[in-house]
Amino acid sequence: MSRPLLKPLLILALASLAAMVLSVGTGSVSVAPGQVLAVLLGEGSNLQQTLVLELRLPRTLSAFATGGLLAVAGALMQVLLRNPLADPYVLGLSGGAAVGALLAMLAGLGGLIISGSAFAGALLATLMVFGLAHGTGSWTPSRLLLTGVVVAAGWGAVITLMLAISPAQRLPGMLYWLMGDVSYARSPWPALGFLLLVCLLVVPLGRSLNVLARGPMQAAALGVAVRPLEWTIYILASLLTATAVTMAGSIGFVGLVVPHMLRLVLGNDQRLILPACALAGGTLLVLADTLARVVIAPEQLPVGVITALLGVPTFLYLLYRSR
Amino acid sequence: MLNVSRRLTIIGAAVLALWQTPVVAEVCAVDDTGKEVCLEQPASRIAALSPGATELVWAAGAGEKVVAVVSFSDYPEAATNVPSVGSHTRMDMERLMELQPDLVIGWVTGNPPEQLEALADLGLPVFSIEPRTFEAVSHTIERLATLAGTEEEGFAEAERFRRGIAKLERQYRNAEPVPVFYQVWDEPMMTVNDEHLIGKVITLCGGVNVFGDLDRLVPRISAEAVIGANPEAILAGGMGEENRHWLTRWEAFPGIEATAKDNLYFIPPSLVQRPTPRMLEGSQLFCRKLDNARAKR
Amino acid sequence: MNPLRAKALVIDIPGRGDGQPLDFTVEPGQMWGVLGPNGAGKTTLLHTLAGLRAPRHGEVHLGEHSLTELRRRQISQQLGLVFQERQDGFPATVLETALIGRHPWLSPWQMESGDDERIARQALEQLDVAHLSDRLVNTLSGGERQRVAIATVLTQAPDTWLLDEPTNHLDMHHQVSVLQLLTDQARAGRSVFMCLHDLNLAARWCDHLLLLYPNGDACWGPAEQMLVPQALERLYDQKLITVEADGAPVFVPVKS
Repeated sequence: MSRPLLKPLLILALASLAAMVLSVGTGSVSVAPGQVLAVLLGEGSNLQQTLVLELRLPRTLSAFATGGLLAVAGALMQVLLRNPLADPYVLGLSGGAAVGALLAMLAGLGGLIISGSAFAGALLATLMVFGLAHGTGSWTPSRLLLTGVVVAAGWGAVITLMLAISPAQRLPGMLYWLMGDVSYARSPWPALGFLLLVCLLVVPLGRSLNVLARGPMQAAALGVAVRPLEWTIYILASLLTATAVTMAGSIGFVGLVVPHMLRLVLGNDQRLILPACALAGGTLLVLADTLARVVIAPEQLPVGVITALLGVPTFLYLLYRSR
Repeated sequence: MLNVSRRLTIIGAAVLALWQTPVVAEVCAVDDTGKEVCLEQPASRIAALSPGATELVWAAGAGEKVVAVVSFSDYPEAATNVPSVGSHTRMDMERLMELQPDLVIGWVTGNPPEQLEALADLGLPVFSIEPRTFEAVSHTIERLATLAGTEEEGFAEAERFRRGIAKLERQYRNAEPVPVFYQVWDEPMMTVNDEHLIGKVITLCGGVNVFGDLDRLVPRISAEAVIGANPEAILAGGMGEENRHWLTRWEAFPGIEATAKDNLYFIPPSLVQRPTPRMLEGSQLFCRKLDNARAKR
Repeated sequence: MNPLRAKALVIDIPGRGDGQPLDFTVEPGQMWGVLGPNGAGKTTLLHTLAGLRAPRHGEVHLGEHSLTELRRRQISQQLGLVFQERQDGFPATVLETALIGRHPWLSPWQMESGDDERIARQALEQLDVAHLSDRLVNTLSGGERQRVAIATVLTQAPDTWLLDEPTNHLDMHHQVSVLQLLTDQARAGRSVFMCLHDLNLAARWCDHLLLLYPNGDACWGPAEQMLVPQALERLYDQKLITVEADGAPVFVPVKS
């Protein structure tokens, strides 16, 4: 069984690599592919080195990490809620994380505290959607979505409020929490490391997740400790979202589009889907960001615009088909 | 471009300079974040990251050294021929690096701090400005002239502005106060408080800003608040020049003194809304409008 | 094997009195049927016996141990449950569905081996759904899905089978073959405990019966002692005519 898992992952990894090469080779300043290679090998002019190594590569890697984190978070949420429409952005996790991060920034705190606060926000958001949507009955798709959308709108209002009352010099830095943007991202390495760690972690959990996808009762009957597993997923999804949001603001719909497309092609084995989501989500965001950089250069688009333009039709299609 | 070791050399040189008489042709200035920026030699390739900065660099006499501007840098005319690096809130860092500036003029409250920090990390000297007073406009021109090595022209322009403002100040020191409402934007309706440079223009001309006490620099207000404040004169900019559209809405409220006395005046926004030497012209116009209002008493 | 044992068990149905606490043991080789009208708590009883719901009073034991002392994984290696209702959140093929029956037997890092797949394919074969292996479960008919669910528990290979209306949606031929398969399981030393709404199937196939009344009363014992027309008429609130066919009683409702 391990052979058929490996092949699609290998193909996706090659696609990721191709997307990254394209992204590093593309920009408002043209650097020929040969020169990019030369720079990567430590040659090339001073300017080319700065462009490729200090501007493009970190941004490309940040986009990849963000996309991967969001796609894996989306896939986990979908298993948790047994609903293909679940997504960190739609259900308000991104909003909660953004509010947490903004609160920390407003209080003048920095670094790890912003990340921690974003995590707390994401956790709170999931808990609210979870608790409220559950209510007395079970999660029906419409109930879950309504709760998520309303809670997300609430976070949006809180963000707007905080932007309205925050000092002017903070505004440009804060605005990107509303519409995600990787152009402010700093070092991509912690996020990439975390993504890799989660991918390794979900491999042993994968089969339990497959069983959980068939309902909590069925999963318990087949030996899954349902509550602990649900909490693990819930905390993981919140951590992934918070990491992505602190890096690039709230980018929407990656967690919705990517798992959906992959399930159509690869089936629904989480041991395959989750690592595949990391690769495909990263690839999608790298391509979207490349587009965002060049489409109206030198003006730069926030990448969230591109993902939303892709995501909204997908979401509506899924909703339409689920009726 | 400066690399780390060269920067260290400069810092070392600066430290030495404190102890000895300066021997290098180094230029230094403190920016509006309190950071001292030193250049080995006067800047020759300047990136101005706000329309206001562009005007100020030109005012400092260093216009021909500007190699990069941002969108809406429309003054002076020559600035429109300089390559743009995108919007001031989201700059195209690649294009900026390609233009190889040796001095970047940032905007404290306008540019994203992340991008300014990234530029500094890439070894570019970033000089961030945020003029909030008339004197700061002059002082900024002088500092930019120092960094660009165009002291002669820059200091003269700074002085011209300083004198012009001082003259208005003497002229209107004892003028009869006029309650004024200044409208920055229409939807949502926004005004300025006394801390804002435009608020200072109002005070300079002997006006009393009816919303001057509000906490925020650019408060959002309602039409009702304007009616309640009953200003004697309403001055507004507008989208683009020669556009009186925003003023016509007040004609529907004859209860406002400004409407009753027909004291609704248009001020071209580019003359007052950027902290640049053009504010002198804007202030003179502003003061004349208030004179008109006084004449109708 | 560890027999399933109810000890002074009172299932938790909100708003209902405690009724008769249940005390019985499902011994190896036995085939139990639970009879009762709609809403008597048959499904709740099954879920409580599987440890998926907490009882109001009493305990469920698997051999020496109370279910609460055992890990879910240990329970699932001994106890299989065929649900009456199934969710299909995400599409999965018939083979994938049967294969999850191997979950209790695999360690977290283990992938399903060729052996596991062989077990699953055999189970599908036995339930006459092997030809559907690559179809998505949500495209199947109700009866086919029922048989896939039973094949999943067959793949799980538990000592004790709990089944909630296993003959639902099945045509007569498949009803008989499923009950025959369960009988074979019992003969092989396992035990079967199932809810049935068809009194006559229970009378024909079960050796022990548990009658569950809507007020919480219950009685249980060997089938021949339980199949008393008066008790059954009270159970279903329905007049019955009893006839005998092929050595077993057949109950026919009286037309009102």
